[in-house]
Amino acid sequence: MGIYLLVALRNLLQARRRTFLLGAALSMVAALLVFLLALAQGLSDNMVRYATTVASGHVNVGGFYKLSPGDVAPLLQDASKVREIVRKEVPEAMTIVDRLHGWAKLVSESGSMWTSPTGIDPAEEGQLLSMLELAEERSYRAGGGDARPGDFSKLAEPGHIILFASQAKKLEVGVGDAITVVAETERGATNSADFIVAAVAEDMGMMTQWTAFVTKQALIDIYRTDADTTSKVLVYLDDIGRTDEVLARLQKVLPSYGYTILDHQAAPFWQKIEQLPNEDWTGLRLDLTTWEDEASFLEWVLTAFDGISFFLIAVLLLVIVIGIVNTMFMTVRERTGEVGTLRAIGMGRRRVLAMFLTEALLLGLAASTLGGLVGAALASGLDAAALTIDSDAARMVLLSDTIHLSASARHVLAAVAIFTVVTGLSALYPALRAARMRPVTAIQHVS
Amino acid sequence: MRKSIFLAAALAVVLPGTAAALEPAQVQALLAEQDQRMRQTGDYEARVFIERKEKDKNDQVYEAVVYRRDETDKLVILFLAPKEEAGKGYLRIDKSLFFYDPTVGKWERKTERERIAGTDSRRQDFDESRLAEEYDGKWLGDVKLGRFEAHHLELRAKKGVDVAYPVLQLWIDKENHNLLKRQEFALSGRLMRTQYIPKWVKLWSASKNDHVWVPKEQRIFDEVEKGNSTTIVIRSVNLEPVSDALFTKAWLESKAR
Repeated sequence: MGIYLLVALRNLLQARRRTFLLGAALSMVAALLVFLLALAQGLSDNMVRYATTVASGHVNVGGFYKLSPGDVAPLLQDASKVREIVRKEVPEAMTIVDRLHGWAKLVSESGSMWTSPTGIDPAEEGQLLSMLELAEERSYRAGGGDARPGDFSKLAEPGHIILFASQAKKLEVGVGDAITVVAETERGATNSADFIVAAVAEDMGMMTQWTAFVTKQALIDIYRTDADTTSKVLVYLDDIGRTDEVLARLQKVLPSYGYTILDHQAAPFWQKIEQLPNEDWTGLRLDLTTWEDEASFLEWVLTAFDGISFFLIAVLLLVIVIGIVNTMFMTVRERTGEVGTLRAIGMGRRRVLAMFLTEALLLGLAASTLGGLVGAALASGLDAAALTIDSDAARMVLLSDTIHLSASARHVLAAVAIFTVVTGLSALYPALRAARMRPVTAIQHVS
Repeated sequence: MRKSIFLAAALAVVLPGTAAALEPAQVQALLAEQDQRMRQTGDYEARVFIERKEKDKNDQVYEAVVYRRDETDKLVILFLAPKEEAGKGYLRIDKSLFFYDPTVGKWERKTERERIAGTDSRRQDFDESRLAEEYDGKWLGDVKLGRFEAHHLELRAKKGVDVAYPVLQLWIDKENHNLLKRQEFALSGRLMRTQYIPKWVKLWSASKNDHVWVPKEQRIFDEVEKGNSTTIVIRSVNLEPVSDALFTKAWLESKAR
């Protein structure tokens, strides 16, 4: 084997210009592949981060209450009872919290916007509050500086609200400013409450513009619901991989406690609010979901991104394959005499085939390793720079207000494996042509 | 007709024409009169224009045709303009409000509190008045509203009745009993909307055998988002019977096509 490598290396070095050009092309495409994989992973990380902090637990027990068939509210009565059942049936739960969701208009002196205020208990939501980052003032206020004013812990004080940067920007408010929340109670009466902005958090993608945090009690006061009412009980597990198992268990046991459960649907609760008025039932029904269900509407972003990446890489690979085949044919043609001589002194066809394939594989391995490492380094550098995304549309698609890429050894190994195999396969036909040459013909070719 | 005469007689007794405070019973009679004036026992058809002004946004104008059959609580709102809203419509049957969007060709059940076409107007703004049925009234005083002498009333929603605004204040012209101004308050006590009704039109209804009063123009000012307002103009009111077929999904779908 060593001799093949030596011969391959010698041949690659002999044709330096050709090797360099083909290797550079392979490296660039490999670097691009690793970069795109890192970007896709970053997108996926953002989605998981959003889904498992702002939007959902690993498993959720939500409730929908219908006063009449057309009036749906995300309300779950007797929240403490449901929490108790969940605690008993899911002993492996790391944390169990519950949140109350509303739909309200936030009004400031300068503007207004619809959003879903989420009522939380700050005392038990340390995990959520620790995941939020205070936003730089300049990200939401014209002329603002690098300072990150605000204090998430102030949410515990009555009359305070946490906004996200995109909301603060639209409403033209900052920490300490007042806003009014206008909502309708379950029975349709208009209500309002005034809040002071306790903190402005960094955006976590497109969905955080439709989420704001207040205390559960504040939301109960606005909606005039019973004190023991919530919207969703969120279950966080030690092992996120056990999500489906826990969901299946709860689906099985909750009916035995007298609850009616909606058919499982991989959609967030707010999409179901639009669908459920078309069903004729009234009263309470439970809705069991996983974090993936609650973030399912974001999958199109990943699917679209993967599709575009696949198309781009496929086109570039095709160009590379054509280049390799052409180069290998040229190599075989140039070395026809050498092949004839080797065959004449007793080298078998398989060995000739192996000689040319080794050359191609060596080139593919070296170029893709270099390209993969460059791509990973570029991705890591950009991630560390945490470049701010100015475009709202890009923020929505990338699910973050900074560019996040997550390169890993897995991505580099995948790129190396793909490009080495593709290079080897591309060289197969020219190598076979070389191996099939008759020694006499090959030597005569030289003459 | 008999009911109107009864109300007029009752008001003549309870409203002696002085500036004396109105007793709750007198206020309730005044509210019942408001409802009675606007109530149409037969069918109702009108062309409605909704102009929505929002701060920092372009003005939007919607045109719709409204059909009502109060006897059976049926209501149809069909949008004619702007182009992107044309063909969309609401249909209320058996206390259920449905919305049809021709761009997706689907019906959706909506809450009774649905904001019509996303504006600040609601189904109630196009529906019959139920003040006496839904609220208990209190006289706050007689005041001058521009050049009009008006009764200033406060209304609080009756227990167990679902209304959008639990507290209202009304200004009713002392002379002709036209509703001039209406303010709507949230549960928190905050003023949410102020509505002015500068133009009323009186039409003869054969089915009612009496006149029906129609607010020809309503100007609604958002008191939370200052600068936002909605104007509803009602034109071409027809109180003649309309076809039964109008109050069906098939009719709305056919109009959307």
